[in-house]
Parts: sequence; C-alpha cells; structure tokens
Amino acid sequence: MSNESKTVAVLGAGTMGSGIATVMARAGHRTLLYDVAEANLRRGIDTVHGFFDVSVRKGKLTDEQGAAAKANLAGTTSLADLAPCEVVVEAVFEDLQLKKDLWAQLDEVVSESTLLHTNTSTLSVTGIASGSRLPERVVGTHYCNPAPLMKLVEVADGRHTAAWAHRASVEFLRSLGKTTVVTQDRPGFIVNRFLIPWENSCIDALERGVASKEAIDAAVLGALGHPMGPFRLLDIVGMDIHQQVATRLYEQLRDPRFFPPPMVERMVAAGDLGRKTGRGFYDYDDTRLFGS
Amino acid sequence: MTDFETIGLLGLGTMGAGIAQVLATSGRTVRVLEADQQRLDAGLAFVDDFLDGGVSRGKISADEKASTLARITGSTDLADLGGVDAVLETVTEDLAIKKTLLAAVAEVVGPSVPLLTNTSALSVSDLAAALPRPQRVAGLHFFNPAPLMRTVEVVRALQTADDLVEGLVDLVGSLDDKIAVVVDDRPGFLVNALLLPYLNDVVAELDAGLATAEDIDVALQLGLGYRTGPLEMLDLIGLDVHLHATEAAYLDTRDPRYAPPPLLRRMVAAGHHGAKNGRGFRTDTPTES
Repeated sequence: MSNESKTVAVLGAGTMGSGIATVMARAGHRTLLYDVAEANLRRGIDTVHGFFDVSVRKGKLTDEQGAAAKANLAGTTSLADLAPCEVVVEAVFEDLQLKKDLWAQLDEVVSESTLLHTNTSTLSVTGIASGSRLPERVVGTHYCNPAPLMKLVEVADGRHTAAWAHRASVEFLRSLGKTTVVTQDRPGFIVNRFLIPWENSCIDALERGVASKEAIDAAVLGALGHPMGPFRLLDIVGMDIHQQVATRLYEQLRDPRFFPPPMVERMVAAGDLGRKTGRGFYDYDDTRLFGS
Repeated sequence: MTDFETIGLLGLGTMGAGIAQVLATSGRTVRVLEADQQRLDAGLAFVDDFLDGGVSRGKISADEKASTLARITGSTDLADLGGVDAVLETVTEDLAIKKTLLAAVAEVVGPSVPLLTNTSALSVSDLAAALPRPQRVAGLHFFNPAPLMRTVEVVRALQTADDLVEGLVDLVGSLDDKIAVVVDDRPGFLVNALLLPYLNDVVAELDAGLATAEDIDVALQLGLGYRTGPLEMLDLIGLDVHLHATEAAYLDTRDPRYAPPPLLRRMVAAGHHGAKNGRGFRTDTPTES
C-alpha cells in the first residue's frame, strides 16, 4: 500500500485541512480538497500552492516537484466528487453533528473499504464514527499544526474501529513520512492531554505572581529542554484557541486542571489573542505565524 | 558583596559534581567536602569524564580541562573549609542531615559566610531557622545535569538578606551561559512546582493505559519539540528522587496534584530507580541484580 499513488480527500479547507492536503499532495496522492464554501476552498488551495512555492524557493522541492505537487491538488464543493477516494480525512470545524453528518453523506458516495479519518482534537472518535453506517473504518488521526512541518500524528481508534482499518491507516500515515503514536480515544489524546494542564498551571503561576512571564519562560527554557517557554507558545497557539480546547476538555473531564484560569478569559475579552493580533503575553510587530 | 572566589561545596554526588564543574569552569576555586575518599574519587572521576566529553567535542582544550580540574580540591575534613567565601550544600535531601551538617560548617566558616543549599524539595526557610544568622542562608538550585541546564533558581527564604539575593544573581550571571531566576521559598520553587504535577499526571495516565511509555514520550517530543519526553526525563531524574520531591511538596501543600501516583511508588519499591540502575519507564537493562 505504501508507495502507490492514491486518490484521497480532505474535508475542510481551513488551516488544518489545507495543511493536511499539502502533506497528501506532496506525497504524490491525487488530493481533493473539499469545502462547502467556494471562497474557503480558493483560500485553502492558495495556501497549499503558497507552501509549495516556498518549498521550491527554499530548494526543498525542485521546480518539477513543486509543479507536480500542485497538479496533484484539486478543489471541489461537491461530495459526489469524492467517490473514487480511498482515504478521506475530515478536518472541519469541531462540531460533532457536522462531522457525523459528513460521514453519513459520504457513506452514500465512497466505497465500503474507504478509510475515514477524523482530525478532531477534542471530540471523541467513537462519537464521530457513529455518524457512519460502518464505524469500523473510522480512525482518529490527529495532526499537529503546521501539518506539513510537524511529523507527529496521534492515532486513536474508536470503540468500533476494525484492526484492518487501524493497520492500514498507520501504514498510510507512515507512507506520508509521518511518525505515528497510538493512543486511546480519550479527551486530548496525548499532546493536548498534557499540554493544556501544563499551560494552565503556568498561567496560574503568573496570575498568582510567583514570577514574571519572562522569568517563567526563561526558567522553563533553561531547565526543561522545551523549545520555547509556555507564554511564547501560548502567543503562537492563540489564547482563543487555548480557551476553546481547554474548555472542551474540561467539559468532558470535569477536572479543574483543564479549566482555563481567569486571565485567559480577560485576555480573550481584550482581544489580546497572541501573535496573530500583535499582542498576547508579549507584543509583536509581525503577526505572521510561521516565517514567510 | 564578595565575588565568591572560593566556594566550599558539600557533597560530590551527581549534582555536586556538576556544580563543582560549573563553578570551577568560571575560574573559582572549589573546596569539596565529602564523607569518604571513595565518594570523593568517584565524584572527581565524574567531572573528569564530563570534561573529556567537552574536549572530544572541541568545546574546551585539554589545558582548560586540566586547569578546571586543578581548581577542584577534595577533603574529608571539615576544618579544610575555613576561609571559603560561601558554602553550598548538595548532600542527600534530608532536612535533619542538612541542618546538622550546615550547623557544623557554620562553626568552621566565618559568621558572615553565606550558607547555600541546592535543595529542590525542602524549605529553605526551615533550614535557615536552624542555623546561626539565618539572613545568610539562601537556596541556589541547579538543574541536572548542572553543566548543561541554563536555569539556576536563586531561592529567597523568609530570612534571606536582600544583598545576598543580589550577590547570588551576580554569581549566576558570571557562570557560563547560566540564567538566574529569583523565586520565593515555596514548595517546588518555580520550575518543580510546575514540573512535578505534570510528571505525576503522565505516570498516572501511563498506568491508566493511555498509550505506551515510548509513544507518550514521542508524542510530546515531536508534538511540542521537547528535547526529552517526560518518562525518559523521570528515568534521568531518578524515580526515587522524583518520588521524594513530589512527596515533600504534597506533604507541604496537600495538593493532590503532587500526590505520588501509585505506579511511581511501586516502581521505587521494586527498586526501579531509572537510568542510574537501568530500570525505569524507558529503560530495562539492569546494571545490577
């Protein structure tokens, strides 16, 4: 299964969807990017093309490779176009009903052996899988942002995921150059499960005046081998995103470690979301997130 | 405030040896006190090995290594600490042992010589209260391995004099590539107050079958760019050391996030102390049976 070119689809042309589509097209798969809105779709395709242009400029892809990768990508606003797909990755808004409805519609379009991957970060794979008549072929595949650069994919089976679907999914992800880890279908999987309480505890320490944000960032950087301190990271993630993820995990786990400290709400209310708004814990002149 | 030219270092275990190297590299004279010659020799050999690594990677010259080593002298006689500019203890994390030892050292060194502790788990204020002139007591907390980790916590006990805190910040600033973070004497200070609950949480989730130890580490390394995954980090810290630290923080705070997870206790009870004896979460190559 590993080296052959497949026809695949990515649902949702937002940040994660276009990032995942980039990964697929770069790996040589005929990739359909689907979105309900034509404007979103165009923006998503531009994002993918832009990524390949930068790769060519940086010498990571040759001109031919860049052109071939672009040629692998096509957009559609019609689910019916997804009929030949062997893998469909869902990366739409974190809304359980929306995701279930998409599977139900796809059941009528794709073959019964098509793998259905969900990139959910906070919902249950089992819950999303229940939207399909064939939940055994639904697998949680959680990519990290930015998907084209981050090697990790967390793989989580739902209660009804079949062993064949799990195996085929892991093999497919490895063929994309990803490193997979296997986790239970629990809120936050591995990375968010530990990141959210960690970030919350750092915010809490700041709020209680244990040390300044600069001191906490510097101490963590210099003592624990993290690539950046917690507040620099939160500024990149965005306080609105942190609040959403933390709140959703709290709602499922009812564990106070997941509930965002009061400072988060205030920063979101003030519009201090991080780099993307020019101000979070720190001030920024450049609101672009990942280089140029 | 003095530049702390000569430092009396109590203990030459893993932390002591690393700190001795850091201080000697900065040009300071380090006079080590150990319980016996064997421990002293083992600690000096450890520094020697570590510096060899630096020589083979071209970070320091053989001459620099030799002069650094020459600035570290060892003794088993307390009287040899006379005349040092500061004392830093790195002995076992037992308050009674630290109190007794520092009280004896206080008799030998002058009444104004700072008495510093590298404790990560005990209260510096508590220690200071047991010593004459407690305003000269403070924490100077290095992370393991001391030559590599940049952060040094300067811990201000309730009794610590302000000028001592300033002097220690300057001292840390004069060490190669180190940054001082001034923190109050709270359980876990700053870094461990954040780290201990996180590590406990990981152990609890491992026990609950979230994923394998390797996959948890790989996920956090690749997903968040951590140099070391949490379970490998626990192996390096030493499961016994972590258990002791988190237990102390728990007893101090009764905060359940510090409560040692049952699997951690069982690992330590079974003698699985991590990398140092080859049995841990990520290591299963026992060095002794």
